[in-house]
Amino acid sequence: MTASHPLPRRRVLSGLVATMLAVPLALGACSSDDEPAADGKVELSFFWWGGEARAQLTEQALALYTQKHPNVTFKKTWQANQGYFDKLATLTAGNDAPDIFQIDDNYLAEYATRNVTADLTEYQKSGKLDVSKFQKGLVEYSTVDGKVAAVAMGENTQGLVFNKAKLEASGVELPKTGQTWEEHIAWAKDAAVKSKVAGTMDPSADYKAFWVWLRQNGKEFYNGNQLGFTQADVQAWFELWKGARDGKSTPTADVIHEGNATDVTKQLVVTGKALTSWVWANQLPELQKNTKEDLNVIAYPGDASKQWARASMYFSVYRGSKNKDVAADVLNFLVNDPEAGKILGTDRGLPSNLDIRAQVAASTDNAAMKETIAVMDELGKNFGPAPTVPPKGHSTVRSELIKAAEEAQYGRATPAQAAEQFFAASQAAISR
Amino acid sequence: MSPVATSTARPSSTRHQAGPAAHQRRGRPAKHKTDGVAGYVFLSPWLLGLLTITAVPMLMSLYLSFTNYDVLSDWESMEWVGLDNYRTMFTEDPSFWHAVQTTLVFALVATPLKLAAALGVALLLNRPFSGAGLFRGLFYLPSLLGGSVALAIVWVNMFNRDGAFNSFLAWFGIEGKAWVNDPDFALGTLILLAVWQFGAPMVIFLAGLKQVPGELYEAASVDGATPFRKFISITLPMLSPVIFFNLVLETINGFQGFTSAFVLSNGTGGPVDSTLMYTLHLYIKGWNEYQMGYASAMAWVFLLFIGLVTAVVFRTGKFWVHYSDGED
Repeated sequence: MTASHPLPRRRVLSGLVATMLAVPLALGACSSDDEPAADGKVELSFFWWGGEARAQLTEQALALYTQKHPNVTFKKTWQANQGYFDKLATLTAGNDAPDIFQIDDNYLAEYATRNVTADLTEYQKSGKLDVSKFQKGLVEYSTVDGKVAAVAMGENTQGLVFNKAKLEASGVELPKTGQTWEEHIAWAKDAAVKSKVAGTMDPSADYKAFWVWLRQNGKEFYNGNQLGFTQADVQAWFELWKGARDGKSTPTADVIHEGNATDVTKQLVVTGKALTSWVWANQLPELQKNTKEDLNVIAYPGDASKQWARASMYFSVYRGSKNKDVAADVLNFLVNDPEAGKILGTDRGLPSNLDIRAQVAASTDNAAMKETIAVMDELGKNFGPAPTVPPKGHSTVRSELIKAAEEAQYGRATPAQAAEQFFAASQAAISR
Repeated sequence: MSPVATSTARPSSTRHQAGPAAHQRRGRPAKHKTDGVAGYVFLSPWLLGLLTITAVPMLMSLYLSFTNYDVLSDWESMEWVGLDNYRTMFTEDPSFWHAVQTTLVFALVATPLKLAAALGVALLLNRPFSGAGLFRGLFYLPSLLGGSVALAIVWVNMFNRDGAFNSFLAWFGIEGKAWVNDPDFALGTLILLAVWQFGAPMVIFLAGLKQVPGELYEAASVDGATPFRKFISITLPMLSPVIFFNLVLETINGFQGFTSAFVLSNGTGGPVDSTLMYTLHLYIKGWNEYQMGYASAMAWVFLLFIGLVTAVVFRTGKFWVHYSDGED
């Protein structure tokens, strides 16, 4: 019984004091772990968003690195996409960002222009971070203001996913890469009549569709930190899709609004509310998982060579990291090591390293995956130069486009009014 | 007594009232001092929390509201911008006024409806019948789930095109719309969700109703008053302090609505800004656009506004709140 052996009061007190002293010391010890220790032991913090499957793959690949470099261990943190950037921003504000963190082109410029990301140019030049096997365009699409801000962990490009099963059952000809936008809209009308399902999702709120269309018309979404289009361009784009809606090529506005969400499960080709969805080509396997209907993917309408190799996700190194050299080596390992490539597969997009990509394509037995890689390899051959990484304010521009396009879709504004609204709002957003 | 005596008596009586406390303080200084220290020691966890978790961040945000703080950059690159954020808010941000309008509509419609629903159900549940306890529990249930995300998700699915609500309408041959995806109705569904969560004020009303003395109703019955007359002349006045309490609380709650709008619109305030509440706009500015200085300024304007509204409600209370143990 404790009562029969009462602890001497003095010992309890001294124990308490010792604990109180030890806690800050232990905390101090934690922070000194950041310094390259004398015995060469390094712990890197590593942060990404994603689901259970991605977590397993990433942990396996990092374990492989530790196996090869026993002095390097990882403090891994991951969570769902929702709230990820809030957390990352908070950590950054506290000067406590992870050594390596996942990021996308929505936020890369926000972080890079504020010097949160370490400049990896030197590692790339010296070959410590080898990008020689990368799909062309990916390196440019990782560079902000002349500095390499991140390493592309995967590639994707715009992909029009369509419901192949339904189209074949209704006796409609399948859409083909190279159709013009007008041909696509006419095709969608015909498909809608024959299949009794809305023909094509209205992508007027979708920045990536607008971007491709602009490039095909000799414009850009951004020229550096400026908008690369005029208000008249926006109006023409909105009018194109108003025509499509009026001609019954697309679903109604409330259904379009559902499809304007970015989650895979809400895409209309998955929910069965339209025959196509405007997504990224590498999302085909993920979309296919969510529906029994047989899906397939082609490029967006118009000249497909105006599409580009977009980095689907990146890893960046924190400017304040005490172990940048090791972090760069880990990233080099993740993108170039065949074993790591095999583990990671196409989870973050098609592997940036084309050799690894070929190896993954050869070893996969997932039909949708094979299809995606084949289509993207075919498209990739004709890609012209990649645009620059979207500037600071891009995520606001994206949501302003959705807002304005929906005004037009719900019929609350004319294409001209919606265009005026979007143009003013997006100009304000990127000039901040 | 002579007038002189009265005039000297008054100050002495006030002195007398203040006397005991002052006397005690002087009389036993040592004991009181230790008592005070002990008090603060016991308070210290809470006090520490208040200072570090509430007071300091609040003052920080007040400071940040005069800067261009953007979360990500170094502190050194933060600049003092004076009243710029406040000026931008009122003159250059159309979404700000839109958010103000949305929030006003939400709060001014949802709060009275919610209170009316709470009072109505409380009146029904106040009658003695078997199973009253069970029903009280059931009606309180939605409030337990409070601002929960799960509840908002259920709501979105119920009021979607193929949701339960439209199936219900279909029985009457009415074809519903996708209510949550329609800019004209999305805010309405959020108001409905807020009204549905009337459990907390309902429980408080119930407690208030139990306090109304039965004799008053009996006396009124003897005088031949109708039930409606009793409600107007007895229940409402006797309940007015409770109504006042609920009104203050629910008004503040209403203005601070966030979770349901965030979930319904995926954090965007859509469709076409129809659910862009003030708090959601603030969140988007701070966390999506990294204009934390601006967001802080918005938060302070909001605080002042809610303070003002509460003060006005308190002022009007004088005219309609009756305290039974009052001075008259």
